[in-house]
Amino acid sequence: MTRLPVTVVGGYLGAGKTTLLNRLLADTQGRRLAVLVNDFGAVNIDAGLIANRDGETISLVNGCVCCSIGDNLGMTLYDLAERPDGPEHIVIEASGVADPARIAAYAGCHPSLGLDAIVVMADATTIRERARDKYVGDVVRQQLAAADLVLLSRTDLIDVAESHRVRDWIMAEVPGARVQDAPAMGRLAQILLVGTKAAEIDPSPGAHDSLFSSWHVGSALPLDGAALRSMLDALPPAVLRAKGIVQLAEAPGRRFVLQLVGRRWSLEPEPHREKLALVSRSEIVVIGLAGQLDPEAMQALFAPVLAACLSPAVEALLRSETRP
Amino acid sequence: MPGPITVFSARKIITMDAAVDEATHVAVRDGIIIEVGDLDDCAAWGPYTLDKRFDDGVLMPGFIESHAHLLEGLLWAKAEYAGPVDRRDPSGRLRKGINNVPDLVRRLKEIEATLEDGARPLVAWGIDPSLNDPIAPITRHDLDKVSSTRPIFLLHASCHIAYVNSATLTLANYAAVTAPGVQRDPSGEPTGELDELAAMMAAIKAVAADLVGGSTDPAQFYNFARVAQARGVTTIVDGGSGTYFEPAFLEAALAATAAEDFPARIVAHHNGITVPTAEAMIRFAAALEGKGNDKLSFQGLKIVLDGSNQGFTGRLRPPGYLASGANGLWNRGPEELRTLVPALHNAGLQIVAHCNADQAAELFIEAVAVAQAARPRFDHRHFIVHGQLLDESLMRRMAALGIHVTLFSNHLYYWGEFHRAHTFGAFRAGAMNPAATALRLGLVAAAHSDTPVSPVDPLLTLWCAANRVTASGRVLGPRERVGVHDALRMMTFNAAWLLHRDHEVGSIRVGKRADFAALAQDPLAIDPMALRDIEVLGTVVGGRVFGARA
Repeated sequence: MTRLPVTVVGGYLGAGKTTLLNRLLADTQGRRLAVLVNDFGAVNIDAGLIANRDGETISLVNGCVCCSIGDNLGMTLYDLAERPDGPEHIVIEASGVADPARIAAYAGCHPSLGLDAIVVMADATTIRERARDKYVGDVVRQQLAAADLVLLSRTDLIDVAESHRVRDWIMAEVPGARVQDAPAMGRLAQILLVGTKAAEIDPSPGAHDSLFSSWHVGSALPLDGAALRSMLDALPPAVLRAKGIVQLAEAPGRRFVLQLVGRRWSLEPEPHREKLALVSRSEIVVIGLAGQLDPEAMQALFAPVLAACLSPAVEALLRSETRP
Repeated sequence: MPGPITVFSARKIITMDAAVDEATHVAVRDGIIIEVGDLDDCAAWGPYTLDKRFDDGVLMPGFIESHAHLLEGLLWAKAEYAGPVDRRDPSGRLRKGINNVPDLVRRLKEIEATLEDGARPLVAWGIDPSLNDPIAPITRHDLDKVSSTRPIFLLHASCHIAYVNSATLTLANYAAVTAPGVQRDPSGEPTGELDELAAMMAAIKAVAADLVGGSTDPAQFYNFARVAQARGVTTIVDGGSGTYFEPAFLEAALAATAAEDFPARIVAHHNGITVPTAEAMIRFAAALEGKGNDKLSFQGLKIVLDGSNQGFTGRLRPPGYLASGANGLWNRGPEELRTLVPALHNAGLQIVAHCNADQAAELFIEAVAVAQAARPRFDHRHFIVHGQLLDESLMRRMAALGIHVTLFSNHLYYWGEFHRAHTFGAFRAGAMNPAATALRLGLVAAAHSDTPVSPVDPLLTLWCAANRVTASGRVLGPRERVGVHDALRMMTFNAAWLLHRDHEVGSIRVGKRADFAALAQDPLAIDPMALRDIEVLGTVVGGRVFGARA
């Protein structure tokens, strides 16, 4: 089995973490989620969704659970990981003053758990003021620095110019930060969870809706690992999520699982499979906000990854099947 | 019908009472002091039995440990002590500190040889390589010399670090654990050091599960009280992380403390640490009202604002930690505190606030100011726990708002050099735990050990407050040294006052409970540097003698 993915949602008090979690629980795309929160009171779960309530755990009719973290996040996570009928994805709500990087350390507390991403919500209307507060300024800046992806909330309350100023300020505070508006939080939440199971890679192109678009690349030949790694570091901020199963020239006969959220990515050997696929291809799907993911730019970025190990003829063939 | 009268005689009785300083005899009936004076004064109450066992000693009001954690009792019950600091175990035996790795390995081998079941893990606590000489890391290779097959788990004194051997790493499948706190050597192999709970979790679950998760073992209560009793404590605080609101835990606590031979009184703070909301805290506190017994009571609600200074997680005002300028962690943030503190204040609760560094204290003071402005309360006795970097300005605001303090004076000795070199620098290390200024400004100040963080030993704690000497002999901030009488008062009457128990304990006065500490020497007549070496002859709790021969 692959690691059970853990997403940490951080951000200061009032930044929109709970809204994000509520949207997530309302439409889980058929996945069994476990959502760990500090306080049930803040999560407004539709009574019709609740199947059972047992102390620190609320079970939902859609198979999800919502757990109160209580005093021991490690214990709560560990016990979830041990459950035979456990969740397929765990989302932790970090407290408003927590350093999400510290919370994310818990995603590695059990041998079968793995950190998927740290997503930090920031209220576009207050974030800069918060960052100057004598008590929490450093905490807010630390939260932004820990983020693989920063989601700006309440951008609908400010004009475009101000929204850009906020974004520029974050980029100056945290060089290399990935910042996105959170206009339709529910959809965004689902995108963050897409493809966390390796088996789910769907090479079908195009947008599932008007908000997001995806881009796909496939190859029958092994990829250049070094080129792939440096390319992953250089992806444009428009890329929200990428997933893939790839073969690398450096390790013949093995397949690797690629996961990317914002600026965090991992490339890990695929766990042993019972049946070896007869035809083993490399497939990568990249997801971003609609209108921001430029297929030509993506193709250019991926070219060295493919080209390094291919003859021009095969390359040409391959390009022909690389769909924007 | 009143019970029989016992008169205790002593070379000297130091009463700590505001009006009457000294006596030689104290008469006790039904656990209550009925006379303090000489033998004739006591005889005026009628027939008595004279108990002369402390005839050569000095009687004081029993010491009050104003901040400690029941966890120490559990550690003695479930694990072996192997730290660098001398500690007395619940049987009264002195466990000499082990302060280098070869001696640690030797000691663990001795323990290992006594364990019969080959699969049973060897769990030890109190480890702190920063106090070792030389300072050297502890690795799995060291611990593999003890055993390559039996799992070994050593818990750091801070409880934030563990050291394990290869058997534990294998058993808990650390090859697959990705937590960043799992320290690795250049080849990627775990070194055996696990930093922070996230990294320790798999090992705890595999080999030390009984150290977490609300044990109801009655031994923890007895051990906790007994270790303190051996150093003259008659009342000890359990500092607020307990789950007394859970019926099974409360039942275990009540049963243990109700025993005739239970050796000290426990005052437990209500849990505002692991309980999330003000509403739940208030509800749990109300449910425990009147639930105690003679030796277990509930007082004050403990909240935690920041972390620990030696762990670089206390919240400092600028310029932050030495050299790095970094700051620590908030446990609860400003917005939450500005509503939580008034809610608890308005509910009539006494707030006990863990504020290790000065910014945490500043925020708590601000929150109490908000509460007091909206709804003034007199004599609420909210107090700060630790308050290690309080300064005159903060303490004047505290005095104005009625906030008091128990200081972590033991830090001066154990971590004074560490703070000077690594956390605060010279000035702030010299200004740490400012007991003299606190008393001068009229704060009711006590001092504490925070056991298991440092050993519970009021004579050591008051020695720290009086001398401010580090482990290497440097005096930190001589102006903040307090006189011995003041130091004794911090560990008796002042602590009782903070716990709303000064009408019952904290001084030897007619009408109060007969809780005494019997000392072999007169603390007011010796060199203050010798205070910590004073032998404790025994204690008296409610008229019953503990730890001393008849």
